[in-house]
Amino acid sequence: MLSRVAESLYWTGRCMERAEDTSRLLHVNFHGLLDADLADRGRAWRELVLLIGLDEVYREHFDEYTAQTVTEFMLWHPANPDAVTACVARARENARGVREQISSEMWEHLNRLHLLVSRTRPTAVLASPHEFFVRIREGSHAFGGVMKATLPRGEAYEFLELGTHLERADATARLLAVRVPGLTVAEPASVTHERLASLLKSCGAFEAFRKQESDELQPAQVIAYLLLERRLPRAVCFCLELALTAIRAISGPTLRPEMAIGRVFSELAFTELMTLDASTELLLERVIRGLGDAAGEIADAYFTTRVIPPGPYAQQMQQQ
Amino acid sequence: MPTSSDTPVLPREGLYEPGAFFDEMFEAPGLPRAHYRVLAEQLSGLSVEEFEQRRHAVDVSFLNQGIGFTVYGEEEGLERIFPFDLIPRVIPQDEWAHLERGLIQRVRALNLFLEDVYHGQRILRDGRIPAELVFGASHFRREMIGLDPPNGVYAHVAGVDIVRDGNGEYLVLEDNLRSPSGASYMLENRAAMKREFAPLFARYGVLGIDQYPQELLAALRQVAPPAAAVPTVVLLTPGVHNSAYFEHSFLARHMGIELVEGGDLLCHDDVVYMRTTQGLQRVDVIYRRVDDEFLDPLIFRKDSMLGAPGLLNAYRAGNVTLANAPGTGVADDKAVYRYVPDMIRYYLSEEPILGNVPTYLGAHEADRRYMLDHLEELVVKTVNGSGGYGMLIGPVSSRSERELFRRQIEAQPREFIAQPTIALSRMPIFLEELRPAHVDLRPFVLSSRITSVVPGGLTRAALREGSLVVNSSQGGGSKDTWVLRS
Repeated sequence: MLSRVAESLYWTGRCMERAEDTSRLLHVNFHGLLDADLADRGRAWRELVLLIGLDEVYREHFDEYTAQTVTEFMLWHPANPDAVTACVARARENARGVREQISSEMWEHLNRLHLLVSRTRPTAVLASPHEFFVRIREGSHAFGGVMKATLPRGEAYEFLELGTHLERADATARLLAVRVPGLTVAEPASVTHERLASLLKSCGAFEAFRKQESDELQPAQVIAYLLLERRLPRAVCFCLELALTAIRAISGPTLRPEMAIGRVFSELAFTELMTLDASTELLLERVIRGLGDAAGEIADAYFTTRVIPPGPYAQQMQQQ
Repeated sequence: MPTSSDTPVLPREGLYEPGAFFDEMFEAPGLPRAHYRVLAEQLSGLSVEEFEQRRHAVDVSFLNQGIGFTVYGEEEGLERIFPFDLIPRVIPQDEWAHLERGLIQRVRALNLFLEDVYHGQRILRDGRIPAELVFGASHFRREMIGLDPPNGVYAHVAGVDIVRDGNGEYLVLEDNLRSPSGASYMLENRAAMKREFAPLFARYGVLGIDQYPQELLAALRQVAPPAAAVPTVVLLTPGVHNSAYFEHSFLARHMGIELVEGGDLLCHDDVVYMRTTQGLQRVDVIYRRVDDEFLDPLIFRKDSMLGAPGLLNAYRAGNVTLANAPGTGVADDKAVYRYVPDMIRYYLSEEPILGNVPTYLGAHEADRRYMLDHLEELVVKTVNGSGGYGMLIGPVSSRSERELFRRQIEAQPREFIAQPTIALSRMPIFLEELRPAHVDLRPFVLSSRITSVVPGGLTRAALREGSLVVNSSQGGGSKDTWVLRS
């Protein structure tokens, strides 16, 4: 497979996932905060902007953190390169460059989603955000489903999978890193419960967790579930395992990408999490850094070919 | 007159006026030609509402599939769907047989001309074509002299534009030998028509065109360098922002070959490779949809980022085949065009089967004087223009436009040609009601060991009322083209 094509597929997967993750965060905040008090609302909206690391950019354009301004920033704002509409457009633009590699069904699905998103007016979304968020989520899920149903298993499939799962692992890890400090301080039980429920919902894992644990929500249990669970689709460990499967199916000139993902995976696979403390925060930092290293190794191994051409030059090198 | 939704597309009381032009469908008001009778019958029984529904279904499917092209110079609507008209053009077998013979003859002669121009230049030395016209053509490539492409083929894919004059005679308007577009629209139009008008196909015996990508791939494989046992063929595109990107991607997908950009290629020791996740892979044939000027920054434009440095040396060394070959543009030059009938006589000792449109050359003094005296009647084109840009259509031009062209012609006579305004044939399109539009036809001619034509082509229609320009970049639309079995 062409290196450029592999890179486009990888980013198609990442961007689609990023659009879903961001809109899910917004969705949960939007509805969870309707009955919260005003100060909490402002803090929670600010947290979202901090989460994507764009607070400075945000402040250049807005003075306060409200549902309306943060939603606008996260969905469309031209200054936000990771805005949901920008991610969908980028996923589609990457796919457009490799249309001959993916199935027509996948392309059409993505193109329809892009047309839908780019034609939706901000005012209409702010009036009833629920529908829009659901559409993005379903659009992303359906894209994965169409891919599984139509795309032959091969390098194209694996690069899409790799991008999707690295992005998802990263999104969950970052969310945990932002929320864990708030869970290590003593708060009234109702506040802690609210925060944990919101965190689970932001990972689409509230119902799943409830089925497993029907007792009072415990911070360490919830964090362990979202970080270490091997059967939960948005848990970091689960995503890393799938990313590893994908990278192993891609044969390549070097094992470095697999090793980089494997290092993060094995640390989590052999971690037990009983209490939350400063070491949890350090663990999350290592995970996020490890994911960044893995992305770098993937780019080096597959997207920038530095192979020496065969022929006399290589022969000479062998003779020396 | 506005039509209500339950009136038929083709009303019994003739709303449609063929007018003074040759009409493809109607001999006279209300009297369809024999090969259009079944279609006319169908359209009389189809309500406008139902027709609009089908058209909407096609538009939605084109939009969702992203079938479109990019328009330059307009901010809004970077990508547009290619407007499509649901009324097919029907060509009876005897007319097609004539066209096919004429096209094959013409493209064979053009390939022989290219081989000659880049080797012995007999035709120039024999004085059949003025040498200065050929050497002065901006697409003449000195670098091609003495180079032997496999099988002596230069123009592997030709998209010859055919028009019909007031008498219904088929004439060649342009030979597009560089990288003609449109084959993908031809195929997509057919697929859309099959979805919406399946019963009509059953009543007409229409020749299939779906084999085009396979035939193109076979032709490309045949011209691979002899050393390549199983040749690797790729399609080189300028990239996703090119107006014809949809087509590049479509053809690569249907041929099952890699779609590469310049940055994906690497030339080393006169061998071309593509960069893959597994390392470098050798490339044998490049179906390139990048213009000559951008192919190789070492030889042509230094600032090009669309080609690959060293490509032309690899080509000269015979390690890779470029299709079409660089330098084919000298044969589709609008001034050289005038001499194509002479090429046919010279190389094949045959009389041309398809005629040319009379052409006046700015470079010839007598012609130029005629041009300048008759600007109001003529269509003036720049020899290197394409896509309908930079044209003067005399009869509908303003005085100041004519003055502008007059000054330009006097300053750079070689750059201009003129042709009489042809009464291009028309046929019905449906825009709120049935109305006539001028049409042309672009069949695709493939040359490898043999020369062949897929039975059909892209019929383009000038959708703006009265417009003579059918190019997609100028608001033209297209129709499916049906060549009948008998």
